[in-house]
Amino acid sequence: MSATPIPAPVAVEDRRSTAPGDVRKGGWFIRITIVVIVILWSIPTLGVLITSFRAEELVNTSGWWTALAHPFRAAEWTLENYREAITAAGFGSAFMNSLAVTIPSTVIPITIASFAAYAFSWMEFKGRFVLFVAVVGLLVVPLQMALIPILRMFTQGIIIGTWIVFPDLDLNQSFLGIWLAHAAFGLPLAIYLLRNYIGSLPSSIIESARIDGADHFTIFWRLIVPLSVPALAAFAIFQFMWVWNDLLVAYVFLGGSQENRVLTVALRNLVGTTGENWQILTAAAFISMALPLIVFFSLQRYFIRGLTAGSVKG
Amino acid sequence: MIGDSPDPALAGSGGRTGERPRQRPLPGVAPGSRRGEGWNVVETTEVRTSGPEPPPGEGEPTPPDERAGRSPRRLVALAIGAAAAVILFPLAFAYLRDPDANRVGVVALAIVVGVGGVFLLFWVLNRTVDFLPARFRETIRPYVFVGPALVLLLVFLVYPVFNTIFISLRNSSSTEFVGLDNYRFVFTDSGMLRSIRNTAGWLVLVPIVAVSTGLAFAVMADRLIRGEAVAKSLIFLPLAISFAGASITWQLIYSYRPQGFGSNVGLLNGIVLGLGQDPVRWLELQPWNNLFLMVIMVWMQTGFAMVVLSAAIKSIPDEIIEAARIDGASELQVFWRIIVPTIIPTIVVVTTYMIINSMKVFDIVFVQPANAEANGTVVMAERMIRWFFQLNHNGRGAAVAVVLFIAVIPVMIWNMRRFREEEAIR
Amino acid sequence: MRRTRMALAALMALFLIGAACTTDEGGDGGDGGGGGVNQEENTGTVNVLNAMEPHEAEAVQAAVDENIGDVDYTVEIEASADFEEQFPIRAEGGTLDVALVPQPGTVAAEAEAGTIVSLEDMGIDVGQLEETVGEYLMSLVEFEGEHWGVPTNVNLKSMIWYPKDDFDAAGYTVPETYDDLIALSDQIVEDGGTPWCVGFESGSATGWPATDWMEDIMLRTAGPDVYDQWVAHEIPFNDPAVVTAAETFGEVMFTDGYVLGGAADTPSIAFGAAPLPMFDDPPKCWLHRQASFIIGAAPFPEDAESGVDYDWFPFPPIDQEGTLLAGEFAVVGTNGNRPEVTDFLEKFLSEPVQCAQGGDPLSSRVSPNLEVGPDCYANEILADSAAVLTEALANGTGRFDASDLMPGEVGAGSFWTGMVRYMQQGPDSVQGVLDDIEASWPA
Repeated sequence: MSATPIPAPVAVEDRRSTAPGDVRKGGWFIRITIVVIVILWSIPTLGVLITSFRAEELVNTSGWWTALAHPFRAAEWTLENYREAITAAGFGSAFMNSLAVTIPSTVIPITIASFAAYAFSWMEFKGRFVLFVAVVGLLVVPLQMALIPILRMFTQGIIIGTWIVFPDLDLNQSFLGIWLAHAAFGLPLAIYLLRNYIGSLPSSIIESARIDGADHFTIFWRLIVPLSVPALAAFAIFQFMWVWNDLLVAYVFLGGSQENRVLTVALRNLVGTTGENWQILTAAAFISMALPLIVFFSLQRYFIRGLTAGSVKG
Repeated sequence: MIGDSPDPALAGSGGRTGERPRQRPLPGVAPGSRRGEGWNVVETTEVRTSGPEPPPGEGEPTPPDERAGRSPRRLVALAIGAAAAVILFPLAFAYLRDPDANRVGVVALAIVVGVGGVFLLFWVLNRTVDFLPARFRETIRPYVFVGPALVLLLVFLVYPVFNTIFISLRNSSSTEFVGLDNYRFVFTDSGMLRSIRNTAGWLVLVPIVAVSTGLAFAVMADRLIRGEAVAKSLIFLPLAISFAGASITWQLIYSYRPQGFGSNVGLLNGIVLGLGQDPVRWLELQPWNNLFLMVIMVWMQTGFAMVVLSAAIKSIPDEIIEAARIDGASELQVFWRIIVPTIIPTIVVVTTYMIINSMKVFDIVFVQPANAEANGTVVMAERMIRWFFQLNHNGRGAAVAVVLFIAVIPVMIWNMRRFREEEAIR
Repeated sequence: MRRTRMALAALMALFLIGAACTTDEGGDGGDGGGGGVNQEENTGTVNVLNAMEPHEAEAVQAAVDENIGDVDYTVEIEASADFEEQFPIRAEGGTLDVALVPQPGTVAAEAEAGTIVSLEDMGIDVGQLEETVGEYLMSLVEFEGEHWGVPTNVNLKSMIWYPKDDFDAAGYTVPETYDDLIALSDQIVEDGGTPWCVGFESGSATGWPATDWMEDIMLRTAGPDVYDQWVAHEIPFNDPAVVTAAETFGEVMFTDGYVLGGAADTPSIAFGAAPLPMFDDPPKCWLHRQASFIIGAAPFPEDAESGVDYDWFPFPPIDQEGTLLAGEFAVVGTNGNRPEVTDFLEKFLSEPVQCAQGGDPLSSRVSPNLEVGPDCYANEILADSAAVLTEALANGTGRFDASDLMPGEVGAGSFWTGMVRYMQQGPDSVQGVLDDIEASWPA
């Protein structure tokens, strides 16, 4: 495949840096608009952040923005909320359980979806259009309607008459069960996003590889996957975040017992039903947000660098 | 998989070289200066030769285009791999289920089993196809690629869909067949009708605002010399905050306390009070309260639109845009004539996703400290959840879900059409 | 070569089938132990799903662990903040052991759906239970001739809290009749104060505290018998008796100066935050009607002392007498049909465990077990409310929270919504609101 010339941009200079009308330099309008949007979007987050560092009494008696008036008054701030959340019983094992749920639940759907997206984009088979659109249509299925049938399937299997459609695999409260559930719930979007990306890769690359005699598996593995890193990274971030933040699926399939529960379940139960403990809630929110943000930052470079003119900005 | 992906910038520095000669970089293209995917032959080839390590079980380097299955050694390796999987996986699961097992060990094993298992699955399946007679091979192979996805979807989503349709035709406890009674309820009950109207509002307004803001932001952030990553991260943040976002975040904005119940801790009422006015019950302010709730969803979802659209924008080759500018196109013209047409497939994807998400929205309404029905903020998915879980009427909850399934069909037809068009011009 | 390939393909197929089969057998082995007998085998753990607050669940866990005696299973008291959602999921998904359900209406719905196991099937002696907790509570979970829940906790709803020290200092006296209560309210207004603190916000369940008010008044204006007819829908929801109750409720809510913030604000005030102005100095309000669990669910200020800073008196009778109560019932899911669950239920309701539960000041749990004496309770508030409950159950004037007994679409839907609308739209909306609730009653 490499021997086949691919229509490529010949001799591309980085005109961007030298072009006279380069908008990157100017654009007060753009900068101001961006700053305004960022500020608007950050206000609620800032509220959560500030609340998480305030004592319960202050949270209930004065607006969070008032803390900004005297940011250096030590009495305004406390780490107590974080301490309470982190030292809660079983925090450590809940954190580990979250990891054990999230990492495979992120990788499994990405792998499965990228194979499927490749097939939907570049392989010929009967029912391709219909199957693909049906898969995307499954986006609309509300999780909540799927939980009970799946749980029943995990505990009893599906039996119609005497015919075992799905065996009783005793998957309830097992990691495998929740991985598969998360993977399946994430698949429609994963396939949709990845097909959009993989399908937009130039056909010339794939065709020339075919001419070179590469089989689909090789093309996929050696060509498509590396080229799709930006899209894969983007989906990985979303899926990681959803699974990590998920409360419902984890609660239903792993249960709420001390040794099984994940971080969100542990934090949710710390807060209790009345939802009055704003300071704990907000601290818990930031604790559970930390890892997804690390993932976001560490994967962000993939989907920016992979596609930008990147390293040579002049 | 992400971690295993080769870093294109390092391509060629290590890795297996394979049998074929490596192609030299095209003159004038510096390594690592990747632009649009199709625009870079260099990485394409180098990636191929320095690709990720083959899945476990694959032996020494072999000429890539030799049919892998032909080598007996590979067969043996394959068989051993499969046998090991059959023996080890149940053991691994037994360990994973053991409540006394060490947490770190469980996590490590979970990752190995969960991640390794899928790789192994595809590899084994693909190799199995290689053993088939040649004439079936390429007919079967696509199904091997989509098969695992379809099986998972069938079991975890399609089966529940049929289950939902089934119970939507039955009574509150799913014990008796009631025909279309539940659907009649959906289209006659005043609360339901209200929710249908509201949902229509959600699925028009939220995607429009979220996608256009996300697009505008992505385009503008792309122009920043510095601070792009920070700006984007801050827009992205609300997506990650969902645990609290559902319940608390916007109470810090909308909260209302009447006189005598302490000072107002919601920002909006703080501002209103600062202006010398009486505090407002934002969540009961019909019909604007619907808009206030939509703001929450826009706030959360814009980050998604922005990330996906930004990736698409960055894949537009700079040269095209620069050429247009040199030809004297204004920035707006560049945006409308080049950027938008190029990334329209991605815009469609993001919009579709937003529409479907707006149909499914319930938690934003559900967790508000107000009675949704009395305040006219009900939406369909919220009704569905409430009928199903709180009001103990499975049939009605399921009927609402089925109506949602049907409502998505036009969106799917639109997608199908686009999909065919895209393929036609490829 | 070709043959080897085919052979290996076949071998692999065998492996795959083998893999599927091994897991199959594993699964079957797991729950095939019952064989012939009605109940399955002891698994060594009883999971008890409930809607308690975290600290309350801890107290109950401790009470169980210390007092259940020598048993061959462990008990897991699992408090869930999402109980309403988790209970039907587990019951219908077949993973539920035991749940402590606050709504008998929900119990009936699950019984109808066949997702829970009756006490008769569990081998529990219902006759004995009726002696232990009284017949009224057991009648609430009777469905198609069988019983589906064991009462494990009750709490008193007809309580009016007041700031005792300030109350006494102002020279007010605890009212004995409803007219006294209204006179007291007028007196407070005259003295420049606000009598009532009221808050109905409770997230997605906003409106339920208002239904408690309605029920308390209905029980006292129409009497327990009409109350029962109302619950069973033998009289319509817009019956004159109900209109009278709603109007009486409206008199308290809509009279100028009676309610802190005014009636229209009450749906925005969190029920947990509602009593707090009572502890201001001077009190911003003087009376607060709420069930006994309020001290456990949303504690009064930490420095407030029971019997000094606050106290309570029973909601006084109007034309009739009655006592409103609520509680929870232990319900067994299909997964819990095991001998150790039967044993647990018996021990859980037994005097030692129940008595120990009452010993926790924050648990606010009152035992339905009539043998549990007043000495078991941590403070006088709990002991007094237990005494009122026992008496009411004994003389037949105790009635369970109506909204928890009504079908879900009313009791957890239109009734809540209707009360919120009533508060928002004012006294003239009463007929329309009740008509709407009546229309929502399932055929």
